[in-house]
Amino acid sequence: MIKLQDVSYVRLGTADLDGATKFATDYLGLEISHRSQDAVYLKSDQREHTLCYFHGSPADQVAAFEVSEREELDMAGSELDRLGHRVRFGSAKEAELRRVRSFIAFQDPTGNNIELVWRPAYSSQRYHGRRDAGITGFSHIGLCTTDAARDEIFWTTVCNARVSDRIGDAALLRIDEVHHTIALFPTDRAGIQHINHQVTTGDDVMRSFNFLSERQVPMVFGPGRHPTSSARFLCFEGPDGMVFEYSSGVREIADELLYRERQFPFEPKGFCEWGAKPQIKEFCN
Amino acid sequence: MVKLEELRYVRLIADNLGGAADYAQRVLGLQPIDKNQDLATFRSDFRDYTLAFVTGDRAVQSVGLEVRYSADLDAALEGLRALGISGGRGTAEDCALRKVKDMAWFIDFSGNHIELVVRPLNSGWRYFPSRDAGVRGLADVIMRSVDIEKDLSIWTGVLGASVSDWAGDAPYLRFDHAHHRIVLFPARRPGVLAVEYAVEDVNLLMRNWYALRDLQVAVVHGPGRRPASEQLFLTFAGPCDALFSFVAEGAAFDAERHRPRQFPAGPPGLCNWGSECKIGEFNEATRGRGNQSIAV
Repeated sequence: MIKLQDVSYVRLGTADLDGATKFATDYLGLEISHRSQDAVYLKSDQREHTLCYFHGSPADQVAAFEVSEREELDMAGSELDRLGHRVRFGSAKEAELRRVRSFIAFQDPTGNNIELVWRPAYSSQRYHGRRDAGITGFSHIGLCTTDAARDEIFWTTVCNARVSDRIGDAALLRIDEVHHTIALFPTDRAGIQHINHQVTTGDDVMRSFNFLSERQVPMVFGPGRHPTSSARFLCFEGPDGMVFEYSSGVREIADELLYRERQFPFEPKGFCEWGAKPQIKEFCN
Repeated sequence: MVKLEELRYVRLIADNLGGAADYAQRVLGLQPIDKNQDLATFRSDFRDYTLAFVTGDRAVQSVGLEVRYSADLDAALEGLRALGISGGRGTAEDCALRKVKDMAWFIDFSGNHIELVVRPLNSGWRYFPSRDAGVRGLADVIMRSVDIEKDLSIWTGVLGASVSDWAGDAPYLRFDHAHHRIVLFPARRPGVLAVEYAVEDVNLLMRNWYALRDLQVAVVHGPGRRPASEQLFLTFAGPCDALFSFVAEGAAFDAERHRPRQFPAGPPGLCNWGSECKIGEFNEATRGRGNQSIAV
């Protein structure tokens, strides 16, 4: 079993690197960690970077997860190979670009590009955002799935994820105490469905709602409160149609033995208990 | 000095009693109590009613506050006379109409009617809302004042209230455990600016925000958080020339250790979430004297 320790970073291709960088810093509130000729690395917490925009196709998206031992990369590689996933070991140069010691790349059953990384770099300097968005860190991702049941089995049996709750067939998966680090949303494509950053308080969610609304950033869901994770949230659209989410107050599941996942309806009420209605394709019937 | 015990009710003049009553039930979710040709009252908590819509020739807009004894009414009227304020005792009919044992009334320097009541009726039956808006009770009233300084002399000099904080030139006034029960807001005319009901928590406040959208009620300020009281608020359009708010949370208040603080005038001093404000008096405060008084 592949033991995912944490979600590490997301890599997103874009045709407009300057525009994406402006959004990520001035609006989202991230800090530029470093730049290369065709990529910008952005920081949201103590890690060296958690988001990378690179010059390329917006369809080129990667999500990375950390494993704790070097051997786990080899074990994961052979296990994935056995199951028919094509596995690629990253070159030293690629690892250097990602600020990790080594990594492997593969696709999940839907075709999402996943990287497993060992020893991703931490930063000696704390995160200081471009604006006071109250971000405490990159926290979770939504992944597209073309077969929710199949992919749930992949993430929960090949990897160590557990189902925390389901909204319709969409499984919210945890790999540690945090209610979910991966959420699988049924759709007709592969890719990252949304990117979540945690903020300090519900006040920060509301301040950003006003800040971003004033700047005409399209609000696609919320402000609201998830009945599943109890987090207050706000979803808005960034470059290339990517949905970004701020949330605060996500539930933690401390007792694995006592916890039982719950089924919520796949309708606005299953996503928000305040009455917000999503304008996100994957959240609508 | 008279001691105010409790904020009791707001009486608003309704041209359309049916429409106002419908609003109280459908939008605010309050429980209807008495209804006749000239009066409709609504319960929000342990008090028999906290909101009354009145109509007819003798109808006046007023805010009702409780004092303990009839002697307090005499003392208040005497103190008011010293300030040059006229007032009087209510008749038996006035008292019956308000469901109180005894009462006095006066008009402040701006022209606001204020009523002091003795032994107002408590229901004895628990509040059962028309809609699950999560209302906990009448929290406070924002009143317009054309002369803050003189009106404040009534509240602090005769009625024993204290200033908790200032937002520009607007004082938050307290007389019980709460940060404020009355706010005087600078304006060009008198009248109740907003009637504020407490709701359970942030979830109810935000649920109501979406409910108001579905009910097509215009939100004029918020949702937001007030820097002074740390209350969450959501202010929206109401009938009878008054706004209504739902408020929640708020900082724990320690009157012993608190001293009045000065916050900015207008929207920046009234919301630290940066919410849009469409209330004329609040927006004007940024331009008026409020700004100068803090620019020292």
